[in-house]
Amino acid sequence: MTNLTKRAAAECIGTLFLVYFGAGAAAVTLMIANGAETPNRFNIGIGELGGLGDWLAIGLAFGFAIAAVIYSLGRISGAHINPAVTIALWATKRFPAQDTVAYIVAQLIGASLGSLFFAASAGMDAITIGGLGATAPFPGISYGQAILAEAIGTFILMIVIMGVAVDKKAPAGFAGLVIGLTVAGVIVTLGNISGSSLNPARTFGPYLGDLLLGGSNLWGYFPIYLIGPVIGAVCAAFCYDWISSGE
Amino acid sequence: MKCYLCAKEGKSTDAVGVCIICGMGLCMEHAVRDDIAMWEGGYPFPERKMNRTMPRILCPECNAAVKK
Repeated sequence: MTNLTKRAAAECIGTLFLVYFGAGAAAVTLMIANGAETPNRFNIGIGELGGLGDWLAIGLAFGFAIAAVIYSLGRISGAHINPAVTIALWATKRFPAQDTVAYIVAQLIGASLGSLFFAASAGMDAITIGGLGATAPFPGISYGQAILAEAIGTFILMIVIMGVAVDKKAPAGFAGLVIGLTVAGVIVTLGNISGSSLNPARTFGPYLGDLLLGGSNLWGYFPIYLIGPVIGAVCAAFCYDWISSGE
Repeated sequence: MKCYLCAKEGKSTDAVGVCIICGMGLCMEHAVRDDIAMWEGGYPFPERKMNRTMPRILCPECNAAVKK
């Protein structure tokens, strides 16, 4: 097995790729819609151009990035690119504690670099208008509702990971495609509710980038994207183990 | 079954194995026995080389092609 430093580097690169292209797509959508009059307060700009199609486009940007990372780096590090997934695998005794810490640190660094590189590529509008694609509950959505939405979204994601990848009976070769499309589908529905992060690192990167580069300070919302995804992923891993036991 | 390569040289030698790729009968002299590394894991776990290997028999031509 590749040593831990190289595996952590792979996690860092994978998460950088995810945040640069996924969160970057959300920022670009806001930048394109900037100045347009939105029909209601639930619409902050994403959805102004193509309705739910805007969210599908953002979801696919995430989905394609995830599929690419899984197929390219999955063999090396496992391509978790999501602390909630890493914690769920550790909680079900599938992943060692020492590696778990290193992976999470690498994922957070990668996500931060992804946001900083996106800001460097797209300019100040990406921060002041696009917010670097940071997630926050949408107007009318409470803190608790956002946590619930994130938990349910990540539960679905982790159940799919367990079923198409972790389970030894899973058909080979489909994990990247199915998991990427699952994330895209979840984003279409939950995007305009909680932001559909499903991943603490995906939110951490843009939050840190915004803070360092003069954007909004959204850290008060961070517990949503920590508690929801971690609870959802851990529950899903244990749930899958239970429903698939005794086969 | 006779060794195909020996037969081409005009000799008649009993085959002791068959090339797993082309199906050629091979004598001890022409059979190439190789141990293939086996890996386990892959998404969402890093791949790791297993302690055991998988043996296989190839003819010299297929072995050269595989090694390229």
